[in-house]
Amino acid sequence: MASNPMQQFSVHKIGPEIKVAGIDLSFTNASLFMVISASAILLFLFLGTKEKKIIPDKIQLIAEMFYSFVAKMISDTAGSKAKPYFPFIFSLFMFVLFCNMFGMLPYSFTVTSHIIVTMLMAVFILIAVTIIGFLKHGFGYLKLFVPSGVPVILLPLITVIEVISYLSRPLSLSVRLFANMMAGHTMLKVFGGFVVSLGILGGWLPLGFSVALTGLEVLVAFLQAYVFAILTCIYLNDALNLHH
Amino acid sequence: MLEKKFKTRLKIAKSKLKKDYMSENDKRSSFMGSAFKIGTDLVAAVGVGTIIGFILDSWFDTKPWLIIIFFFLGAVAGILNVIRTANRMQKED
Repeated sequence: MASNPMQQFSVHKIGPEIKVAGIDLSFTNASLFMVISASAILLFLFLGTKEKKIIPDKIQLIAEMFYSFVAKMISDTAGSKAKPYFPFIFSLFMFVLFCNMFGMLPYSFTVTSHIIVTMLMAVFILIAVTIIGFLKHGFGYLKLFVPSGVPVILLPLITVIEVISYLSRPLSLSVRLFANMMAGHTMLKVFGGFVVSLGILGGWLPLGFSVALTGLEVLVAFLQAYVFAILTCIYLNDALNLHH
Repeated sequence: MLEKKFKTRLKIAKSKLKKDYMSENDKRSSFMGSAFKIGTDLVAAVGVGTIIGFILDSWFDTKPWLIIIFFFLGAVAGILNVIRTANRMQKED
């Protein structure tokens, strides 16, 4: 029964091996859970918006709640100029949230506990935000790296520091989500292992911890999706309204 | 009968909204989000600085000088990140 707590993160192929131009594109359990999350979001929002009642039923109410939650988050952090980017941030938030929440089910796979997934999203955000910044401000966007009121002698040093700070955003964004998900799931598994190895006499204490940690993990799953989306809004805000 | 019931329920819901119960809850979760942000921002900048130093070192063949310099520049950038987040949190308060 003593199973490896890291085994839950292993990726394995489902079905035949697909190779396109030397790149392995096989369908894995990670892809399966991404498909499940995406289709669950589509189904949920389809059911939520099917009948537009004045007095919403439960599912419509939840869908509207998510909508107003994200809309409020964007208008609070990035202002009204960020309205056109609502679809992107909403999909990002919902995808991360559903991947995290599906990961909480027993025997499931947590997509966001792999750094390649979170890193891809974060790098995409960095590139998108940089392109938006250059499109909106032209080369004036480079002013982001040159803060006002700095002595000329210090300017090269400050610029290098600002560039490092800018480039650290995707790493910080991806590591935060990945580390929180992986650490939490490993911890749950370790406490689960304690329950089995301590048996009927001593196993009750880690069992209680497991229950409490599951609650904590649900909170973390939601909070990390929220943080991921709100930081995207903050970065978008920097690109749209230059004021450094 | 049904109409009346709905009206009272609407009134209760409206009075609940006025209490601004959500905004207090929102604030708490946004602070928690910032707290999560601070921890990784500090480390990530050091990591990125070191990686940049490593790449530049292998370009210019100046091992180990640039990696040392960029490690410290990364640490400075990390502290700058933390100060900025803290300032933003204070402004929101």
